[in-house]
Amino acid sequence: MAGEITLDVRGLEPPEPLVKVLSALETLPPGDRLRMVHNREPFPLYGILQEDGYQYRTEAFADGHVEIIIWR
Amino acid sequence: MNAPISSLSLEQAPPISVPFRFFLSAPLFLLLAALILLVSGPQALMSRWTPELLALTHLVTLGFLSMTMIGALMQMLPVLADSPMPLPRLVAWMVHIPLVAGTAMLASGLFFSQTGMLNAAIFLLAFALGVFLIAGAFSLAASRVRHATTRAIRFAGIALVLTVGLGTALAGTLSGYFHLPMQELVGLHVAWGLPGWVGLLVMGVAYQVVPMFQLTPAYPARLTRWLGGSVFLLLCAWSPMSLTPSLPASWGGSLAAGGVAIGFAVFAGATLYLQTKRRRRIVDVTEQFWRIGMLSLLAAVALWATAQQVTGIAADPRYPIVLGMLFMFGFAVSVVSGMLYKIVPFLVWFHLQGRLPKGSTIPNMKQIISDRTARRQMQAHMATLLLLLGSIAWPVLVYPAALALGFTSCMLWLNLFAATRLYLKFARL
Repeated sequence: MAGEITLDVRGLEPPEPLVKVLSALETLPPGDRLRMVHNREPFPLYGILQEDGYQYRTEAFADGHVEIIIWR
Repeated sequence: MNAPISSLSLEQAPPISVPFRFFLSAPLFLLLAALILLVSGPQALMSRWTPELLALTHLVTLGFLSMTMIGALMQMLPVLADSPMPLPRLVAWMVHIPLVAGTAMLASGLFFSQTGMLNAAIFLLAFALGVFLIAGAFSLAASRVRHATTRAIRFAGIALVLTVGLGTALAGTLSGYFHLPMQELVGLHVAWGLPGWVGLLVMGVAYQVVPMFQLTPAYPARLTRWLGGSVFLLLCAWSPMSLTPSLPASWGGSLAAGGVAIGFAVFAGATLYLQTKRRRRIVDVTEQFWRIGMLSLLAAVALWATAQQVTGIAADPRYPIVLGMLFMFGFAVSVVSGMLYKIVPFLVWFHLQGRLPKGSTIPNMKQIISDRTARRQMQAHMATLLLLLGSIAWPVLVYPAALALGFTSCMLWLNLFAATRLYLKFARL
């Protein structure tokens, strides 16, 4: 069964959120999903994900935070 | 098996040379302003209309503020609006060179009262800013992002169009091509240039970069939703009323101007409040620059409000000069300097990450510009602000103020240059 790993990058100063998500993706077991919790939409990340063949879905929450679910 | 993740995509971001040419040029214009102040002495600050002060003002607003703000926008639109500017290299060339040449010629034209130079400067500046505005409009039109920041950037762009148009009309009037009322036009030019272009842009960008880089909570949505738009609409309402001599128009104009002032006071108050709620306790240089900036903005609003009540203040020739120092240097130069200390190290890191093979050691943000040298520059900047304000009461202080301004701009340039050199060193590896 596919698992899900949650990565909360709120409260980190750039470029830490990007560094953390890229290294988490490198060790993500095949078939698993990564849920990134962030306080804004990380547009530069999307380009990288598309280029590297990942799929993602962004969910926006009423309190302003967003969650990006990333899988291959 | 997972395929290796490629290095960070540089497709989205313009080359590092695009923003850096603007950043590295900007402090040199502050240095030029310091030289003019040093050469002219207390005479420069006799009234807001002295050729020296007109030259100085444009070196700061165009040469430093607009220069860095344009460079930063070319870099940040892809991040904030998910929409890069078209042809970034070409646009950078077509904006940067005429902006540098046009600003230098405008300052010389004003300083030496040379209308020929002034006309050439206007042509270059209208071209540079026009190219930037068109490229920016393309980028924003293609963006699917709609938030308070992109809205405020749009308003700031319209304010820049008006500022350039009014500036062109003023130069034409000075050269004798048109016969327009100077005082009224200057009032409009200043209002659209300072609270309009500079103020609205700082406000909109702050909504994103203050929480992002200073790790504060977000600005409340009920504030960001209306603040930028209200300031913009109030400036629109104020403009025709400022040209009409009737009593109701003058009341309406004061009311609208008061609204703009309240808008900026709310923005400054909210920013200072958010800074007290930072998640990290370590004080950093950017945070201090922003604190100086917001306190100066509040002081400018308080001075303006007092001058509306006490007639003697508004009539004093020193009043507009103090107001300008607080807004342009105390507020705008401070927040822009503070942002440079975040954007420049971030860009060096980001572009090295994209260029170097995976697993290479990349210097971290704190190694790119050291906290210690940044903090020294901030202290020199603070001393400059105090000396400038002091020179209003004691004109002889204008000399140490000019020296301090020269010193702090050299320090800023050296800090930015150190980051550039580090990038070049690693990029060649």
